[in-house]
Amino acid sequence: MTDPDSFVPQDTKAQAESEDSCDVGRRRLLAMAGGVAVLALAPGVTVWARTMRAKGLVDAHPVRYGLLIDANHCQSGCDACVRACNQYNGLSGQTGPDNAQWIRKVTIQDPKTGFTRTFPVMCQHCAKPACVAVCPTGASFRRADGIVLVDKHRCIGCRYCLMACPYQARSFVAHKVDDQKPWAPRGKGTAEGCTLCVERIDRGKLPACVAACARRGHKAMLFGNLHDPQSAIAKRLAQYASTTIRADLGMEPGVHYRGI
Amino acid sequence: MRARALAIAISVVVVLLAVLWLTHRGPVPRPLIAQARGHCVLNTARMRRIHMMWLRQVRTRVVRDGMALRADRLTRCVSCHVQKNAQGHLIPIDAPGQFCSSCHVYAGVKIDCFACHAAVPEPAFAPGYFSRAHHIQAAFRQPQILPRRFKALLSRAAP
Repeated sequence: MTDPDSFVPQDTKAQAESEDSCDVGRRRLLAMAGGVAVLALAPGVTVWARTMRAKGLVDAHPVRYGLLIDANHCQSGCDACVRACNQYNGLSGQTGPDNAQWIRKVTIQDPKTGFTRTFPVMCQHCAKPACVAVCPTGASFRRADGIVLVDKHRCIGCRYCLMACPYQARSFVAHKVDDQKPWAPRGKGTAEGCTLCVERIDRGKLPACVAACARRGHKAMLFGNLHDPQSAIAKRLAQYASTTIRADLGMEPGVHYRGI
Repeated sequence: MRARALAIAISVVVVLLAVLWLTHRGPVPRPLIAQARGHCVLNTARMRRIHMMWLRQVRTRVVRDGMALRADRLTRCVSCHVQKNAQGHLIPIDAPGQFCSSCHVYAGVKIDCFACHAAVPEPAFAPGYFSRAHHIQAAFRQPQILPRRFKALLSRAAP
């Protein structure tokens, strides 16, 4: 009937239907079951993904802002970053228990050798921030681009975040403020901390501390997108050894240090 | 006896009414709202009715979603509506008789925006500072960001 050597192109669909029609029914059933399963699971998967993202456990956003602070270049007598921060954000610059401090210079010394290092410490903009985890109202939150902020519209001033932060990066506004800067709203009864100058970043400018350090010519601070392999900060991090403060806590800070 | 009690009651009422009539200061005057510079992101009638919901939505977009360049944020309200005194100094927008407080005193509604927000714009924050945001301003002239439940409010006549 058919020559086994000759190739006759056949309608594969017709062949499949004629040869085993029971398989078609099974396929349809499987396809329907698959569709039903997708419909049933999709909302759950979406909610799960959202929850994971909200908790910061999935960090798939293309942008994560961070800093690289090179303690080798940070000068011991210089506090340009601190003064720039205070001036730009309208802070008093005083360091009493009632005064807000968003960034401070820290000096460490090896007691055996006397080797001294100085570098600025501010909010470390962690991937898994403790302040966000403990906040009872959702006022402490992590923006999609990795900046950890206080939404003062929701803050009730409970100060849990001040207790939770191992870097002591949060401050509490204890007194009435009436000389705020328009870009840095702050008021009595709310927690606050370094915003990474979010208003400047959104306008495409560097944070005030980084700009001040660069103006001084020290270039000890580098700001950039950690998730962009082409960015200067990502290249520098890939090139040299760096560390984060208290990396053992597993909060994955966005502020990296070199030379400490 | 009853006539005497009635006379006393009537005289008491008359005295009370007289006291009220003599001491009342007439209706509360309508607020005098200062003229702003430039164009608002929304027309005046709608803004008067919905600005509280509007600002509540915008603040979430600005603070939590990072849409900081929005032209309809509170900072922009202040920069257009703030007034200067005779010496040319900026007056806080929540000071008595100023743009926010004139209406809010009339309506008896307390605002706490300026417990945290600056009530005067920084000189550099005056109109023009947001030049990059002008295209966004055009996009938000219409209240498309408002949820459906505010549509009824929008269609009602403004006071």
